[in-house]
Amino acid sequence: MTVDGSDETGATGGPATLPGAPTAPGAANGESVLLEVRHLVQEFPIRNAGGVKGGMLQAVSDVSFTLRAGEALGIVGETGSGKSTLARSVIQAPPPRSGEVIFDGVDLTKLRRRQLGPLRRHVQMVFQDPYSSLDPKWRVKDIVAEPLVAYEAGDRRQRQARVDELLDLVGLDPETYGARRPGQLSGGQAQRVAIARAIALHPQLVICDEPVSSLDVLVQAQVLNLFEKLRQELALAYLFIAHDLALVKQVSDRVIVLYLGKVCELGPSDGLYAEPLHPYTLALLKSIPDTDPTIRRARTKEVISGELPSPLDPPSGCRFRTRCPRAQARCAEEVPVLRPLRKDHFVACHFPLHERGGGAVGAAGTAVALGEASA
Amino acid sequence: MSTPVVTPTEAAGGHAEGEGGLRWWAAFTSSPTLRLAVRRILIAIPVMLGVTFLTSVLLNLLPGDAASALLGANATPQEIRQLYLKLHLNESFFVRYWQWLDGVFHGHLGVSLQNTQPVAQIIGQHLPVTFELIVYSTLVMVFVTIPIAMLCARRPGGIVDRITMILSMGFLSIPQFVLGLLFVLVFAVVWKIFPALGYTPITQSLGANLKDFTLPALTIALPFSGFYIRLLRGDLIEQMESQDYVVTARAKGFGSWYILTRHAFRNSLISFVTIVGLNVAQLFAYTVIVEEIFGLPGLGYQLLTGVSDRNTPLVQAIVLVFAGIVVIVNLFTDLTYGVIDPRVRYGRSAI
Amino acid sequence: MAVLPSEGESPAPARGALVLADLPARRGRGWLHSLDISIPAVLLIALAFTCFVWPYLYKIPSPVGGGILTGSLPVGSPGHLLGTTVVGNDIMSRLIYGGRISIEIMFAVQGIGLVVGSLIGVTAAMMQGVAETIAMRILDVIIAFPAIILVVVIVLGLGASEATLIWALAVVMIPIFARVSRAGAVTIREQTYIVAAELSGSKRWRIALRHVLPNILMSLLTFAVLGAGIVVILEATVSFFGYGIPPPGPSWGNMIAVGAQTMSTRPVLLLVPSVVLLVTVIALNTLGEGMRRRWGTLR
Repeated sequence: MTVDGSDETGATGGPATLPGAPTAPGAANGESVLLEVRHLVQEFPIRNAGGVKGGMLQAVSDVSFTLRAGEALGIVGETGSGKSTLARSVIQAPPPRSGEVIFDGVDLTKLRRRQLGPLRRHVQMVFQDPYSSLDPKWRVKDIVAEPLVAYEAGDRRQRQARVDELLDLVGLDPETYGARRPGQLSGGQAQRVAIARAIALHPQLVICDEPVSSLDVLVQAQVLNLFEKLRQELALAYLFIAHDLALVKQVSDRVIVLYLGKVCELGPSDGLYAEPLHPYTLALLKSIPDTDPTIRRARTKEVISGELPSPLDPPSGCRFRTRCPRAQARCAEEVPVLRPLRKDHFVACHFPLHERGGGAVGAAGTAVALGEASA
Repeated sequence: MSTPVVTPTEAAGGHAEGEGGLRWWAAFTSSPTLRLAVRRILIAIPVMLGVTFLTSVLLNLLPGDAASALLGANATPQEIRQLYLKLHLNESFFVRYWQWLDGVFHGHLGVSLQNTQPVAQIIGQHLPVTFELIVYSTLVMVFVTIPIAMLCARRPGGIVDRITMILSMGFLSIPQFVLGLLFVLVFAVVWKIFPALGYTPITQSLGANLKDFTLPALTIALPFSGFYIRLLRGDLIEQMESQDYVVTARAKGFGSWYILTRHAFRNSLISFVTIVGLNVAQLFAYTVIVEEIFGLPGLGYQLLTGVSDRNTPLVQAIVLVFAGIVVIVNLFTDLTYGVIDPRVRYGRSAI
Repeated sequence: MAVLPSEGESPAPARGALVLADLPARRGRGWLHSLDISIPAVLLIALAFTCFVWPYLYKIPSPVGGGILTGSLPVGSPGHLLGTTVVGNDIMSRLIYGGRISIEIMFAVQGIGLVVGSLIGVTAAMMQGVAETIAMRILDVIIAFPAIILVVVIVLGLGASEATLIWALAVVMIPIFARVSRAGAVTIREQTYIVAAELSGSKRWRIALRHVLPNILMSLLTFAVLGAGIVVILEATVSFFGYGIPPPGPSWGNMIAVGAQTMSTRPVLLLVPSVVLLVTVIALNTLGEGMRRRWGTLR
């Protein structure tokens, strides 16, 4: 479905850049970089019952990536992996503890709150729960008009026309739904309203924070199709966050796999799906319900064992080692760096599933090793 | 999934410091209860300062001054002027507040403008009355509330519950002074069971003393009980209907009454104690009313007369004492959680 | 730990029928169908009608300036339904005019409290940080102060009248409204739709006015009704102690004070204003609780 971005990159791609170099991994030369995130760290203080300061929770630690104009970048991870925090840090709500968020050449973290306004109109967000992201007291047409009013786009009649146009675009009849309140909409309809609001000011980038995970499966497909359609029509770039790798693959050109606030793997979605390099990515793939007969994959039912460790006290070295079937002594001592193994395909693992140059190390064997706890 | 809020590294850091002769500091940083207590007191200090400052401001804004108020209408202007200077009323407001504050830090609460009696002495005389009134009414409050609320929660919608709900609404709506007067009317005028007025020191006769305090204590306690019964009943019913441990206990075959008294009540107790503790501040306001109606020589009565006499040092000191007691009671309430709920004692809780 | 297999099922309800209070708000039906809202509402409207409209429809005796000739008339005397006071003032008309003052004060104080208090509270919540903390500490100080003393001091300072009583009571109620609205605003400001509004480019004051305020309004109104009971009680208490409405001006509080002096000989003078006061407060509290149950407090 989404072939535009990744294929072009494949054609022009020069030697892969190393992480830590001025340009973050995945930055393709010659492409216009829309968003660049460098060494982003986000922490939250933990307070106990009496309001006394406890520890610091590092939700995102040292994440770097780039996003090209018109590209869709997926971010995958379990609950608690820091993917939503990452998204919020990008829009500076709240600003990250350290690191840079360079949008269209401007570092957003260096800007004051007031200066953010004009820039933020180019970055919009669609949230997970459509109902909580819409003010329950407002009517649909006022919700969609809010950004138009805030940026004083046109007069009253022009705004009204634009709202109708936007509602049409997301597949809602303005006559029927314009006067309703969020409580009178279905989940899918509410999310469509949120999408209409997000695209009202022609943003360049829309951050989608698990936009379909609270919807019914059938509605999910419809809303995903809407995202796809809007991307083609409006040349939007997406930062698409989900915990379901299958879903992300459908919309994204490239995918980042996040574990406990760190990037495990970053690569083109087709490549990552067909040939995962990080054991965690493989585990995530295994956890997808195997209903699609076109996907050829060892029909093992194993999913990842154990629980996510506390982000207050992450494991030393590689953070995934406590649940990794391939973990060895080195994994506890040394933090794996993100390194390229394929063209545009990076992994942070001492013992990836495939080494440089291709050739299976034995995905089936790993799968067996992973499958210690059957579900 | 609950997360422990004290990290292991932090706890370790506390112990490491302890080796260097700073044992008390180690004990302090590793004791959440103590940290909580200190934090509370630190927050309370500005509030207490603020309350006394507000008192000064308000009394300063009153028309007339203490000198003329004390000497009465027959005094000559010279006499008033003399007293005026003697009381330092010519000084600016901020200077007088600062002098007062300085005195407090050195342990002097000043003297009453009315009879030059040390304020500390006046408080020593009258505080026990107010204190007894508050303790008595809090006890009545608690011992009326708990059994009635439990009886209601045992059978929500039953006859006991319905009657209680109506009565409690009546009691929580009744102004304290009206309730006091009605008590006097019924129990002192019509039935003559309790005295309408008067005060017998506890040292003279315990029985007479308790008799004197019963109607005032009931007057303060019952409106609060009306409120608390509804609160506790609602909490108990909610626990009985929705908590997993109740379902578990039922499955084990325990009866409703057993679960209510052993499980639900224990859990509701925390919020109940909190709310009772926080409302002690409110009680002081009501001692002013009740002491006036029943002629009890407590601090509330002194406060009201002090205000109309412009007796600033006395009013200041009483306000300070009231605020201090409120802070202590609130602190005590916080620490009581630790006894009831061990999670607080160990400094852990769900975020 | 043993976990029951039927986790999803709600536990068996306690025996016996549920009382009205336990029923979840029945949103489907009009609010007039909730008896705990409609009954007190009707009662309060009737009270307001009696106090404000009735005296214009039927001539009633003056509440003040009665003569000693008509003094101490018993209940049911011709022309004086509830009798007269020692100085000959008609009790019924004193109740009506006293009620008028109580209702006026109640509306004025809660109006001022609602507007000023929510302004302070929402502003504090939107400012966040040090400014918020300082503002809330100052309000804590006023709230920690015994309300009656505060009112008495202010009334003494400004001179007793209905207007000064309104301002004095407003000083008591404003911090409480501010605290309630700040608590509400804090929960609202954490909502995703506030982030969405910020992303949409709405200015902070606009978010406060258009998003935060409408979403806490219903709970503020509920609180205004519950707090109205407090205002009526405070006004009566202060008047009872002689610091409020100056006699011979009619007020339920000073009527009770007068009645208390003759409670052994003519208890009716104490009982009648007490009952009227009590019924009014009960109606306000019942209405407030009904509203809270129906429209809910903040989530």
